[in-house]
Parts: sequence; C-alpha cells; structure tokens
Amino acid sequence: MRRGERPLLALPRPLLVAFVLLLGCQLIYHHYGLRGFDASYRGLTRPFSAAAYRGIAMGSEQLMGYLLALRLQLHDNQAGRHFRYRLIDYDILVDWLDRITEVSDGTEYPMLLASRIYSSTSDRDQLRRMLVFIERRFDDAPQLHWRRLAEASLLAKHRLDDLELALRLAEKLARQPASVRMPQWARDFHFLLLADLNELESAIAIIDAMLQSGSVNDPDEKRFLQEKLSAFRQKLFESRQTTPG
Amino acid sequence: MLAQTISLFRYLMLGIMSRRLLLLMAILSLVAVLCASFIGELAIINGEAIVVAFVADFLRYSSALLALLMIATGVAEDYQSRQFERLLTMPLARWQYIAAQTLAIACLCLLLVVPALILIALYGDAGLGFYWAASLWLELFLISLLGLLAILSLEKIPQAVFFSLAVYLLAKLSGLIVLMLDESVRLSEGSATSRVVEFIFSAVLYVIPGSNTFARNDVFFENVDLLAALSSQLFSVTLYALFLLAVCLIDFYRKEFNL
Repeated sequence: MRRGERPLLALPRPLLVAFVLLLGCQLIYHHYGLRGFDASYRGLTRPFSAAAYRGIAMGSEQLMGYLLALRLQLHDNQAGRHFRYRLIDYDILVDWLDRITEVSDGTEYPMLLASRIYSSTSDRDQLRRMLVFIERRFDDAPQLHWRRLAEASLLAKHRLDDLELALRLAEKLARQPASVRMPQWARDFHFLLLADLNELESAIAIIDAMLQSGSVNDPDEKRFLQEKLSAFRQKLFESRQTTPG
Repeated sequence: MLAQTISLFRYLMLGIMSRRLLLLMAILSLVAVLCASFIGELAIINGEAIVVAFVADFLRYSSALLALLMIATGVAEDYQSRQFERLLTMPLARWQYIAAQTLAIACLCLLLVVPALILIALYGDAGLGFYWAASLWLELFLISLLGLLAILSLEKIPQAVFFSLAVYLLAKLSGLIVLMLDESVRLSEGSATSRVVEFIFSAVLYVIPGSNTFARNDVFFENVDLLAALSSQLFSVTLYALFLLAVCLIDFYRKEFNL
C-alpha cells in the first residue's frame, strides 16, 4: 500500500525556498560549466632546452625522455577526443622529437614516433618533415635506426611518390659500413629503387659489385640477386632494342 | 656499553615499527605498480624498462619521504616526552643515542628497499634489482642521516622535514639551478648581483651531496658497470655520512637538557 503524501505547500517554506535556490544554482553551474568546457584542439607548446629537461630529471634522464615521448604520443588525444595529425604543428613536433632524442641519449622512441605514428598524416608536407627528421637523426646511431630509415624510404616511395627522396634514403642505408649489422634486404632497396627509376645500368653495377665482393654469403640472397641481375639485364637489353640510336 | 646501545636501538626500532611502516610500504608499492603498469601500457617499445624505471624512481622518492618522516617523528617524540632527560640520567653517553639512531636508520632503510628489490626483480632483472636495492639503501641512509641532523637541531617535524627535503632537492636539481644562474648572468650581461648569487650557490654545492651519491636510474636503459657505479657511490656516501654524523654529534653534545 502506497504511503500517503502531504501537499508540497504544507512543507516548511525555508525548505522549499532552499530547494528552488539550490536547483537554480545547479542549473546555472552546469550551464556555465558546459560553456567553459573547451573541446577544441590545443596546440603543442615549444619544448624547453635539453639541458633544462636533464636538470628537471634529477638524474633519471632516460626515464624523463620516455615520459616526455609518452606525453607527446598522447598529445592528439585531448578531452576524450582524438584529433587529426593535420592539426599538429609539425615544426614544433620536430623540436619535441629532437629534444627527446637529446635528453634520452640512445633512445629509439622519437624515431619510432616519427616513422610509425606521425607519418600517418594525410598532409604531404608534414610527412616530408618526418622523413627529413628521420634522415637527419639516422646518423646519430645507424645501428639503432636502420629500420626507421628503411621505413622512411618506403614511405617516400609509396606515400609521397618521391622516388628521388626514396632513392637518397635507400642509398644512405646501402652505404653503411659492414659494421652496421642489418639484413641484406635493407641494403637491396637501393638497386630496386634504381631499377624503378629506370637506372638499370647503375642497378646492375651495384648487384655485380655485391656478388663479386663476396659480402653476400646467404644462398637465398645470392639467388635473389642473380635473378634480379638477369631480369635487369633483360630489361636493359629490351629497352635498348626499342630505343632507336 | 654495546649492550646499552643495542637496547636503545631496539627501543627506537619498536617505535618505528609501531607507526604502521609495513602498511605504508605495501600501499606505496601497490600505487607504484598500478601507475607503472598504466605507463607501460602506453609505451610502444621498451615498456618493461619504462615500468621498472618508473617503479624504481617512485619508490625512491616515496621511501625517502617516508624515512624522513619516521626519523623526524621519532626524535620529535623523544624531545616532547622529555626522553632525552630520562636517558641522560642513566649511565648512557650521548654518542650512544646517535649510534643507536644510526643503527635504526640503517635497519629502516633496509626495510624500505625490500619492495624495490622484489618489484624490480619481478618486472626486470634480479641483478638490477640487487644493484638498485644497494644503491637506494645508500641514498636513503644519507637522506635519513640528514633528517636526523635536521630534527636534532630544529626540534620540530615540519621544519626538519622541509630542511631535509630542501637539501635533497637542491642536490638533485643542482644542474638545473646552475643552468638558470648561468642564464641569469648571461641575460643580465654579467651583473655583480648575478655573479654573487652564482658564486654563493657554487660554494653551497661544496657542502651538499654530489650527484654520484644517488642511485642511477639510467641503469635500466643502458649497459652500465654496476659494480663501478656502486663503488663510487659507496665512497661518496661514506664520506658524506661520516661528515653528517660528526655534525650530529657536535650539535647533540652542545644541547643543554634540564636534568
């Protein structure tokens, strides 16, 4: 059985007034709170100097570098929303990546962010900036960063359609001394891209040099190179046949 | 004489243990693990090293604060309950109180490094866990001695903890402060005031612990000769700890107690 209720007007007046006042306050607060909630994108601020971050790290520079990298990685997620990379100022982003590299010496994280995360932008200029960053920072530690340079070369070829840049990056990779250990396929990019550019003679010369230098010991790799050599020679022969003079 | 010191040490340790030390350590370890796991989930590469390094640093700073509070509270209670007056009526030398406190600090630090040792060994490498435990013990021992000196001199917990933390942070942030002072001299075009401040700070650096007295967090990311790092830290901590003990003894012997 439902318990009977007294009419609202029978309640003490101060209680009713307080209820109306508090309800009003809550509505006003919520209204202004919503207006104050800024869901628009807030850009990156410029980083401090590497020396300042090293000082703040209190002896834990490597950890500081990684925490800064994670903070940067999360920058495109703001107020529960994911913002497009196009909105990010890539000049400042490159400053951040440089700073993290300087703070956390020998880290792979900034290069990884550049090649895997920030390269997924749809803006070609921004992508180019990332590839230039990878090319510049590769020399700091070729052994650590050869994968990133190989990825950058592929991005330049397939995403930017810039074979010149792709070739430059692949050549840099191929010219690394034998002391920089990397799989042979990473060095092979160079002649494959040369063939794509129709520089068949150069590609053939490189494969010839590789086979004759004895630096390739893997039988599968040797077979692959010989197949490519035959294919490129055939292609060159055919192109000479079709080209008059 | 040794038996008296040991009895006093036991009494001090009982006081420390009665302040829910183990519960606090368990809570801190849990918070460290939860925060580190969250950070580790975010990392694309090197997640394990980041987790271990974060746990190590989190436990380092929280243990340092905990040790300072424990030591300061213990000695402040002795002042408040007129324990010193009672002790000095017994056949007990003042240096024995300092010796007992030093032993209590050593044991407290040993207890505080156990969670770090277990967690680092679990998440990472046992060798690194032992290095960090030994290195952190040295760091905590030094900070606790600094806390002992501060509470013996200042007699009040807030002032003593604030002073000890200030010295600790000054030592840790000395690189940043030097950088700021250099910049200040440069921006003021070498003004006399900036140069005086820079000179004073460089003089202060001589009497605060150097950077090699602290545990090195970079060992979780780089190949470091752990034994060499520990030996260098042991030497500098021993030197500074003896200096602090000497100052503690001088200060404690100079104090007047109404017997």
